[in-house]
Amino acid sequence: MVTYAAPLDDIRFVLNEVFDYQNTVASLPGYEEATPELIEAVLEEGAKFCENELLPLNQPGDEEGCLFENGVVRTPKGFKEAYKAFAEGGWTGLACDPAYGGQGLPKTLQFIFEELICSTNLSFGMYPGLSHGAYNALAFHGSDEQKATFLPKLTDGTWSGTMCLTEPHCGTDLGLIRTKAEPNGNGSYKITGTKIFISAGEHDLTENIIHLVLAKLPDAPPGIRGISLFIVPKFLVKGDGTLGPRNGVACGSIEHKMGIKASSTCVMNFDEAEGTLVGEPHKGMRYMFTMMNVARLAVGIQGLGLAETAYQSAAAYAKDRLQGRSLAGAKHPDKAADPIIVHPDVRKNLLTMRAYNEGARALALWCGFAVDVAEKHPDADKRQEADDLVALLTPIIKSFFTDYGFEATNLGVQVLGGHGYIREWGMEQLVRDARIAQIYEGTNGIQALDLVGRKLGQNMGRPLRRFFHPVQAFIEEQQEDPRMAEFVLPLAKVLGRLQQATLHVAQQGLKDPEEAGAAASDYLRLFALTALAFMWARMARVGLDKLEGDQGAFYRSKLATARFYMTRLLPQSSGLFAALMAGKASIMELEEAAF
Amino acid sequence: MKIESAAVIGAGVMGAGIAAHLANAGVPVVLLDIVPEGADERSALAEGAVEKMLKADPAPFMSKRAAKLITTGNLEDDLDKLAAVDWIVEVVLEDPKIKQALYKKLETVRKDGSVVSSNTSTLPLAKLVKGMGARFARDFLITHFFNPPRYMRLLELVAGDKTRPEALEALRDFADRRLGKGVVVCHDKPGFVANRIGTFWLQSAVSQARELGLSIEEADAVMGRPVGIPKTGVFALLDLVGLDLMPKVDGSLAATLPKDDAYQAIRRDWPLLKKMIGEGYTGRKGKGGFYRLNTSGGQRVKEAIDLETGEYAPAGKARLDSLNAAKAAKGAGLKALVSHDDRGGRYAWSVLSQTLAYAASLVPEIAERTTDVDRAMRLGYNWKYGPFELIDRLGAKDFAERLKAEKRPVPALLQKAVEVGGFYRVHEGRLQYLGTDGAYADVPREDGVLLLSDIKLAGEPIARNGSASLWDIGDGVVCFEIHTKLNTIDPDVITMLGKAVRTVQGGNYKALVLYNEGSHFSAGANLGLALYAANVGMWPMIEEMVEGGQKALRALKYAPFPVVAAPSGLALGGGCEQLLNSDAVQAHAESYIGLVEAGVGLIPGWGGCTELLARLAADPRRPKGPMPPVATAFETIGMAKVAKSAFEAKEMGFLRQEDGVTFNRERLLADAKAKALELAEGYQPPEPVELILPGPSGKTALTFALRDLRAKGVATAHDAVVGDALADVLSGGPGADLTEPLGEAEVLKLERSHFMRLVKTDPTLARMEHTIETGKPLRN
Repeated sequence: MVTYAAPLDDIRFVLNEVFDYQNTVASLPGYEEATPELIEAVLEEGAKFCENELLPLNQPGDEEGCLFENGVVRTPKGFKEAYKAFAEGGWTGLACDPAYGGQGLPKTLQFIFEELICSTNLSFGMYPGLSHGAYNALAFHGSDEQKATFLPKLTDGTWSGTMCLTEPHCGTDLGLIRTKAEPNGNGSYKITGTKIFISAGEHDLTENIIHLVLAKLPDAPPGIRGISLFIVPKFLVKGDGTLGPRNGVACGSIEHKMGIKASSTCVMNFDEAEGTLVGEPHKGMRYMFTMMNVARLAVGIQGLGLAETAYQSAAAYAKDRLQGRSLAGAKHPDKAADPIIVHPDVRKNLLTMRAYNEGARALALWCGFAVDVAEKHPDADKRQEADDLVALLTPIIKSFFTDYGFEATNLGVQVLGGHGYIREWGMEQLVRDARIAQIYEGTNGIQALDLVGRKLGQNMGRPLRRFFHPVQAFIEEQQEDPRMAEFVLPLAKVLGRLQQATLHVAQQGLKDPEEAGAAASDYLRLFALTALAFMWARMARVGLDKLEGDQGAFYRSKLATARFYMTRLLPQSSGLFAALMAGKASIMELEEAAF
Repeated sequence: MKIESAAVIGAGVMGAGIAAHLANAGVPVVLLDIVPEGADERSALAEGAVEKMLKADPAPFMSKRAAKLITTGNLEDDLDKLAAVDWIVEVVLEDPKIKQALYKKLETVRKDGSVVSSNTSTLPLAKLVKGMGARFARDFLITHFFNPPRYMRLLELVAGDKTRPEALEALRDFADRRLGKGVVVCHDKPGFVANRIGTFWLQSAVSQARELGLSIEEADAVMGRPVGIPKTGVFALLDLVGLDLMPKVDGSLAATLPKDDAYQAIRRDWPLLKKMIGEGYTGRKGKGGFYRLNTSGGQRVKEAIDLETGEYAPAGKARLDSLNAAKAAKGAGLKALVSHDDRGGRYAWSVLSQTLAYAASLVPEIAERTTDVDRAMRLGYNWKYGPFELIDRLGAKDFAERLKAEKRPVPALLQKAVEVGGFYRVHEGRLQYLGTDGAYADVPREDGVLLLSDIKLAGEPIARNGSASLWDIGDGVVCFEIHTKLNTIDPDVITMLGKAVRTVQGGNYKALVLYNEGSHFSAGANLGLALYAANVGMWPMIEEMVEGGQKALRALKYAPFPVVAAPSGLALGGGCEQLLNSDAVQAHAESYIGLVEAGVGLIPGWGGCTELLARLAADPRRPKGPMPPVATAFETIGMAKVAKSAFEAKEMGFLRQEDGVTFNRERLLADAKAKALELAEGYQPPEPVELILPGPSGKTALTFALRDLRAKGVATAHDAVVGDALADVLSGGPGADLTEPLGEAEVLKLERSHFMRLVKTDPTLARMEHTIETGKPLRN
């Protein structure tokens, strides 16, 4: 089994030392009570739950998978009990509105907690994760009646939710959907059609499942502007809130897939199922995006969560596994062999995972803070600024975190060698589980297009300001300090490249969208590496002043990892820069028939 | 004969507007109207008209001073004032009896050899001279101005068979040179040229929209930009000119055109129009028109009428596949539009095929040459292409074949064009049109007209990059042309400016002219590029743009040859700074000049502050002492004032008194070139300027005024920040002092550093973003 302990020290460090949780989030109206101490206490409880309840179910859940029989899905052994405990512990309503029974805690906390869940049992996390997405969509766009009916139950976890978008013939291009919604004349609609790849579409964890379904009304304009959003519960809800008869929605089958096997991925058949419209007709895509943006960040966190477990397991193994001797001569002459951690290449693998994880965690929390500020800050300008940053970082976090998540879990397998490849150690499951995160919620290719096609051009580049200006200001502030030079110089260099690439991609993209498309994924990764360099430089800044204290070892590790990042990972940016500046020519040259 | 003075009879909107424009041109003008019944002030109509015009926007006067050239009076007491004038324009009611009664009065007072013209748009000349006597008929013409007379460039001239050729020539020359009009000589046919075709087009466009079921937003979107017609299209244009004009023009054409004229077949009675006019929906001047602004819900909602029901609903954006196809096809957009089979494409084809075929059937009936008709539609209706140019864009052959396929007649002239390959061609570097005789001839250019577009046909530029070019315009003069969107200035423009200086210096050239034939000389620096660079924090790039611009303009100023700038339209920000750094300016009268950087939270950074200060200080007609120029510049730049004409630009100090003004857009380049050659004789570059600036005490005085404005709520928080930076620059910075003159390099350095400071602030970036996205300033 994998080795995992929630990285609470690192989280505390980022929250309070790198960023200022107290004055950024806890000072927002409504979060006065969410003090750093409270957050810490909640996290400790959450960590216990994840380590003790979820982690033990992860490997057996993968072995057993979900079972589909007579239209019913059975989750693996122990999931039902764990879910019950999860809901009773209040974890389903952690960041939900107290008006609906939620705990009203910051989104930042939700972010952190999701990392812990993903580290310990991604499949399990899918069920409450989807509910949370449905909660958000309804909280923003539902009518008062819809909110009163559904939000309390989604908050306390007695009901769960889904997002029903994809159909057999369309996923990325939702303008093509065929699911129909016909008015019944009494304010409700008959929904008919088939949806596929519906996570948590059917299961035995909750008494009801609330499907949010995209469908077209009879008078819908063609394409993406003609899609409406409907609520279709598995069991109809009566006026008094109790469950009525079964609705015309049923699971047709579940998918057999590479990873997250304990998460049920369903074909859902809607046969004149009764539904109610959310918001206005034809605005469903916009509403869905509310939920998708949050969901995209959450998927990014999945990459981080899995990579963290891979790192911890691989590090433990490398310190324990005795094979051969150090190239510099025996380090442990008393033992039969040195542990493999003495080898540069093994160390490089471990440090790669670690440097990405810690950098990504910092970036996730920077973004998490911005999510909270965007929602709660009393000053509209500040809200807008934060919202711009979130919009900019969302495709980067989703895409880069899940890409490196897959790379890192693979490195984890590599460190364990043959033991990584067999099931027993749990390392290969991490790779399989990580793979889907690069695909769902908008493939990583789509994320890159979102970045270059929408975010770069938005408001003449205004969202970019929220990233570039703080980085620039940090460099200017720190460039006088010689101790910071080894972090600030590479940061300044990569920032210059990113600036140049940004202007290039934006200008080329205006003339020829294919140029932007050809640059997109390399550009996104260049951006991500720059963002992580910024995070590492900031972490190094904090560490430099605390090397001598009683926590000195922690900060020395930070600085060492920061150096590794700057010297061994950041240089990828040169290759990416050269590649993306080369333009589309060599990508578009080969004729279609020649493929 | 020469026209040096004029009179206008009839002080309505058109008459008064014509009088104002004569005054703009420096011509003394008498404006008379009738004595209103029972009036104490017997000249109240003319006087009232002048007063009203002084407040009107857009202004009929180019400078308030011009109003002094108008002598007002009435037709009973002041007829004797007409005795001395060279030209009398009649602009009274469209009633032949009233007009002839007036003409008889005029005949008793006007001097021999003077010219009389009518501004009629509906009455034939033959009818007006009938029974008026030989003297009158010899001196009489029709001069048909378009509304508003200052701004619309078309003047249609109609001469009768008895009209003296010198009278026609004198008026043509006067209207061309002095009034700046594009003169088109028309035949004496109903509606003359522009309204004959324009009314046909409008009628066709309205009835086809109804027939094919287009919303007015769709009709305007199709029959606008993609066709090269102003974005007002059809219905918004009717709102602009007034819905009540339509039945009048239509009635007159229907009554005077022969029964078999194609116009009779396409015109329709339209009850909705009558109903709207009856209810006061006469367009922008009334309660609204096809579009209206509904403010009832506390918000301003633009609404559009439904042509079927007559009900208003919130206006939407037209979404048609044909529009997308036209956009995607770029240069071939018009073809893509008319060949698309959605209702937008069918509409475009239906209206254009009717209108263009009609135009092709009217030459030489209404005018001698096709090219005259094209010119009339370009200048009178602001079309980008006239009907024959549009046919060429569609392909004369394709156009005729489709007409044939639809079993519609192909006009003989069009058939000729099909045979030889189009209505226009470029032959040996010259633009030629197809004559009615089937032969091509050069498109005529008046003496003293020099067009860059003609030069381009004849050869290659000396140098060119994506944003600017250099052209040899003959006699040793080089023309620097910007060709970006709105002719904004980007790094490539700056590079080419540097190249211009080296080219003139190194080659066999004597002078440089800054000129282009876009609608606007230059709207200033490319704000989008600057904002983007600022958003990604590329400060060195922005700093380089500022410094590079300063250097390039400095190089212009101190070049060993003369530089003449010839603006027309907007010359804002960096565009204005080009003028300020030139040796002389030959400005089109319709030049709109200003340093508007403060509007986007910046200050002029390419020498605008420095040069405006220097000009104000050097002007002997302004108050002496160090403070007045500083205070004036502070107000002018701080409030982002824009001169609304070349004359206002002189009053504000952007132009020197000795700078030239050209009324006719087509003569601007030739005038600028002449000026440049004149300066080239024994040219000496200017001495570097030293400025006596007040320093901190002066700044205190400026910021004191600013604080006052801030306290009153007139200036916003960021206005105060920008104003403070500007005050610092204009007062010479903390080190300046009255006893020690400051070199211009010092002031330029201040410009740079304050520009960079401002461009790094969020409120400035918010202003830039807002202005780029909405075209309006943000008051933050």
